[in-house]
Amino acid sequence: MNEIALLNWARGPGLDIAVAVFLLGTLWRLIEIISLGRKKDLSAPRHKPGASGWHTIARRSVAPPGMLKRSPISYIGGYVFHVGLALIVFFYAQHIKLIESLIGLSWPALPSQLIDLVTVITLAAMVLVLVDRINKPVKRYLSTFEDYFTWAVTFLPILTGYLAVKHLLLPYTTMLALHILSVELLLVVLPFTKLFHVFTAFMSRWYNGNANAHKGVSV
Amino acid sequence: MAIQNDVDFKNALNALSVDQQRALAVSFTDSVIALCDDARVAGAVSAARRPDISDIELAALYQAARTASVESYTQCGKETDWAIQAGHFVANAAMACVAPASKQANLAWDAAMQARMARTCETISSGEGTTNREVDHQYRLLEQYQNQ
Amino acid sequence: MSASLDKGVNVLKEMIDAPIASYFNSCVHCGLCAEACLFYTETGDPKYTPIHKLEPLRRIYTQEYTLLGKLAKMVGLSKPVTDDELEEWQELVYNSCTLCARCSLVCPVGNDLVYMIRKFREGMAVSGHAPEGLIGATTRAVEIGSPMGIRLPAVQAQMKHVQEDTGIEIPLDREGAEYMVLLSSMEIINFPEYLGAIAKIMKQAGKTWTLCSTAFEATNSGIQIGVGDIAKVLVNRIVEGAERLKVKTVISPECGHAYTALRWDGANLVGRPFSFEVLHILEVLDGFREQGLLKTEGFEEARVTFHDPCQLVRRGGVMEQPRSLLNMVAKDFVEMDDPAKYNWCCGGGGGVSANEDAEELRLQAFQVKKRQLEKTGAETLVTACANCRIVMEEGLEHYQLDIPVVGLTETLAEHLVEAED
Repeated sequence: MNEIALLNWARGPGLDIAVAVFLLGTLWRLIEIISLGRKKDLSAPRHKPGASGWHTIARRSVAPPGMLKRSPISYIGGYVFHVGLALIVFFYAQHIKLIESLIGLSWPALPSQLIDLVTVITLAAMVLVLVDRINKPVKRYLSTFEDYFTWAVTFLPILTGYLAVKHLLLPYTTMLALHILSVELLLVVLPFTKLFHVFTAFMSRWYNGNANAHKGVSV
Repeated sequence: MAIQNDVDFKNALNALSVDQQRALAVSFTDSVIALCDDARVAGAVSAARRPDISDIELAALYQAARTASVESYTQCGKETDWAIQAGHFVANAAMACVAPASKQANLAWDAAMQARMARTCETISSGEGTTNREVDHQYRLLEQYQNQ
Repeated sequence: MSASLDKGVNVLKEMIDAPIASYFNSCVHCGLCAEACLFYTETGDPKYTPIHKLEPLRRIYTQEYTLLGKLAKMVGLSKPVTDDELEEWQELVYNSCTLCARCSLVCPVGNDLVYMIRKFREGMAVSGHAPEGLIGATTRAVEIGSPMGIRLPAVQAQMKHVQEDTGIEIPLDREGAEYMVLLSSMEIINFPEYLGAIAKIMKQAGKTWTLCSTAFEATNSGIQIGVGDIAKVLVNRIVEGAERLKVKTVISPECGHAYTALRWDGANLVGRPFSFEVLHILEVLDGFREQGLLKTEGFEEARVTFHDPCQLVRRGGVMEQPRSLLNMVAKDFVEMDDPAKYNWCCGGGGGVSANEDAEELRLQAFQVKKRQLEKTGAETLVTACANCRIVMEEGLEHYQLDIPVVGLTETLAEHLVEAED
């Protein structure tokens, strides 16, 4: 198959399949989790302002006292690549065009040189967190194939996207096809790996915050 | 003066000087000393008998008695061995014997209370139940001391 | 699979709910939970990472409740949980976890790991993998009424002793009293001063109270070992006693886990809301303070600091009260770094102090508390849990630190304005 055919497939059927698997998979997994249910807490509740599941969703994004210096790369590296990824996905002009073609919404893009810089920083941050995962005894101990696989699956779209935009490594058409395929891979595995934390982290924070708010403790 | 209740007992003890309290603390503790087999505890009590004991010696003995006390606590969830627990309270009584003087505490009263707990533990342990004559015994000890 | 393992695994399947599923699906293996756990920070051994302590439960979850997990199991691609594995996990779940919940506080994706460990213990217990000491305590609690083997006569002996010491009558089974006071076995055995303090304070505040002959024990070993049925029996005794004596409020003593067990787990164990209020003694005392019923005089001369019992503060929500109360009688009160809900565990809660196998680890973990204490320069350590007290005294003794540990209720009682009789 030549590179044009590959690109067409990636943009067409490939994307359709990937998005379908992503949406249906996400729905399925959310149902799988929520349908297990939760028993009502019959103890008399306390009411404390600032304590609720919603507050915890926001609050957990901040490092608790003393934790930042115990594991700075976890927090700093983590923040940088998450924010970087969001900026690239949602504020790169071509991505906004794609979203517009899919759902009709659009918004102003960030200058492409800024996105370039953000991309490089994001890639660096991702390498940093990988190195930290291999280096730190606890992370290394906990890590399984899935952790490295999902890292690669997240890293590849960013890398291939950058290479495509910069016309590096391979001809543009091929690079673009690879970029789209790598995104499709990410979409397909997201609901079935730890990447699903994209959704469940907010649920977990809510459950935790809600249960503790019942006791009047803001977590 | 006959001591018939704890109000009399406490008032009489409060009227004593620190040295006198210490002497009585020792005799209250002596009454239960057999319930404890820790040498540090026995050592503290017998040293406290000396009227010329220095503050430094008291401090060292207090440390030793406290270690004995801490080591003999019953841990949360462990089955209570009342005989060992008796020893724990004897150690506490010994601490009172060698404690530094303080405005807020009466050494003799503290020792008396700990000695009573020790005796109660002993009688629980031996199956005799929880009533015992330690209180009366302490009243008689005080009366004897006053009549000297 | 042996009958026990089977039962254990079945129990674990029942324990899993939506929050637990969400938690397992959120974990990204960042390892931050380890950095919050004193058993990891003081030993450097990654096996003590909190989420790792839950690995068997995670596998049961995926194999039972996820499509991919079930498929993998069907084609023989999944690793079943074995008896040997649970045996290996006993140390992680019972020796190196006090249910302190610092991990639940710091997990960036919001996992409540302690919630999961408590449920995991249910399966461990049923499969026969709970520590000897805890099994003994639980058996005694059910059969005798106290995990440490205390019967009513021992309680009555202490009552008598306290009556002599304070000159105040200790009521037993007084119907219609406002407060029913529970004790923990620890206090009955080791700290009779606590009951004396209650008596003095209640007298000054002019409140009616009583002990209950069929429900004097507050602690709940069923919770610690993780057997809900037993925990339910123990709570029911208290409910029955409180309802029989028609009290308004049941007071939980200076014990961390007793409070959690009764105040937060109790109603859920017996399956209905309580008809009476449950308060920790410090909540009661702080209430008295606010109403002007608690009159104290004088101040502690030494510099004091406060150790927050995990189950009372971080897990119980009684955070400000100890401070308001301590400030009444201490002029030089210094907070530890990482105070209140961030405070570090004494290392002995959740059944760990009753577990002889865990002693060495516990003493090693204590170093974090030792450092906190040294930094404050405090000469007295105040706390509000009898177990924390003894665990810390032992720890301080082990590291040759000469700092007395005292209970807050007792300290307040020492400063009560003497009533004119």
